[in-house]
Amino acid sequence: MEMTKKYAKPEEFSTLELMAVCGSKQIKNGEVVFIGTGLPLIAAMLAKKTHAPKAKIVYEAGFIDSNAIDIALSIADSRLGYHASGAIGLIETLGLMLQGGHVDVGFVGAAQIDEYGNINTTYIGNFENPTVRLPGSGGGNDIVSSAKRIVIIMTHEKRKMVKKLDYLTSPGFLDGPGAREKAGLLGGGPSLVVTNLCQMDFEPKTKRIRLATVHPGVTIQQIKENTGFDLIIPKDVPTTELPTYEELELLRAIDPHGIYIPKPK
Amino acid sequence: MPNLVEAPIEDKRLTLKEAVKLVPDGAHLFWGGFGFQRPPMAFAHEMVRQGKRNMTIYTCGSEMDLDILVGAKVASRLEVAFYAIEGIGLAPNIQRRMREKTVEIEDYTNLAMALRFLGGALGVPFMPLKSMLGTDMLTKKRFREKKAEVFTCPFTGEKVVLVPSVRPDFSIVHVSRVDREGNAQIDGIKGEDVEGARAGKKLIVMAEEIVDTEFIRVQPDQTVIPNIYVTYVVECPWGSYPMMVYNYYDYDMEHIRRYYEQCKTEEGWQKYCEEYITSVNNHMEFLQKIGIERLLKLKAKKPFAY
Repeated sequence: MEMTKKYAKPEEFSTLELMAVCGSKQIKNGEVVFIGTGLPLIAAMLAKKTHAPKAKIVYEAGFIDSNAIDIALSIADSRLGYHASGAIGLIETLGLMLQGGHVDVGFVGAAQIDEYGNINTTYIGNFENPTVRLPGSGGGNDIVSSAKRIVIIMTHEKRKMVKKLDYLTSPGFLDGPGAREKAGLLGGGPSLVVTNLCQMDFEPKTKRIRLATVHPGVTIQQIKENTGFDLIIPKDVPTTELPTYEELELLRAIDPHGIYIPKPK
Repeated sequence: MPNLVEAPIEDKRLTLKEAVKLVPDGAHLFWGGFGFQRPPMAFAHEMVRQGKRNMTIYTCGSEMDLDILVGAKVASRLEVAFYAIEGIGLAPNIQRRMREKTVEIEDYTNLAMALRFLGGALGVPFMPLKSMLGTDMLTKKRFREKKAEVFTCPFTGEKVVLVPSVRPDFSIVHVSRVDREGNAQIDGIKGEDVEGARAGKKLIVMAEEIVDTEFIRVQPDQTVIPNIYVTYVVECPWGSYPMMVYNYYDYDMEHIRRYYEQCKTEEGWQKYCEEYITSVNNHMEFLQKIGIERLLKLKAKKPFAY
């Protein structure tokens, strides 16, 4: 039964709330979902409370089909064990489950991405003399290598959307069409990038990033100015679907203390 | 008439101090726990107290425990997939030591590291996987002569990455419970501890509690590390504090946040290290410093595991 949706007005939600709702829509009912902490965790919890109650959330540390009711700070957080169907380990989740081909969609973050959706989460600066050492791959490379679809959630800044990565940690479409297959990668590669300004997908022919929807109040010029590579911009770009009142209410109940989505003042 | 003779129970118990003494400078260690879950924190503290140096640490993902080992210059080389203070920020000491070039880091993925331990435990020299393909992790390396190789499968022609197996001198894990002979059970996720424990030439098992072997043997299906692999057993309640142990206690986020903020500077780290690690004689004194009230507040509230 499809009820008429009641959309909130742009001043009634924050950008992080919109990003969480965008992320949740990428999870289909019944899918096996690999996520980390932060916004993806909130997005997955929301999806389970709305359109995808049968989605199975897997955390690489070993919690399987988690139904956490408290917000976790670590992917190994005991909170994720609540009503889980299994608590196993990395060989199970990243090896048998993910590399074995059972994971539909994975969510990852990125410090930098390039126009083919390749991801850096390891070094800023050059490899010999890096300025910042980021957390590294963790399971990120494994997830991006082998999940059927990948959703990247990140902040939209020129220094993060770059022509050339400082270090290629996880493979997007590498240098274009056919490259993943040639390299021997199993998974389907990135399908969507959700930022604080817009959503971007990948043009099927060139495998390059393409603007898909623009968040309310954001201009295409603003997106261009914050992107360091040539973004494909189609003629008509719709506005991102706004969150509904129901989604916002659920979101705020999921993260009541504002751990990942700070409360508005 | 033959009498039924009960086999004597082998006693592998050592104190934390004795166990750490067995690990020489320059040793290679598998480091157990994953993220905030079951890190051998007390073992890290004792290595700092005993002034250990030049360790090479192998693990998937670690947090404050690894940051302490690098901050105190116990560890000078890491072969890892991930470190941070999750949910808070980057590992502050590792960041500084990396710039000073007193720590070198070889990067792998979590699955690659877990398979490297499985390979070591299986006694084969390498393991194949489908990660790392097409990335800088394959081509850029620090100190390993050979880090990873792309290989074409002789049976199917498919491309795989080969990663070298690891057989460290010691494996250090912290588990929920163990008996005197070393039969170990882990509640909650196991991370890569099942494989990592078996990869080491010697295995030291720290545990929240030592239980009678009868307790293990009425539920043998819960045993994830049978005594055959175990060299020594160390009883160490609150051994992961201020991180967490499933079914035992939650993390102390206030303490972790203070650590993170304070260790952004060298002076702050030195102060933390002195206050909580080197000015106490042992793990019990550390716990006394934290205080029983604070610890009891963190105890897992059944039926929750945290």
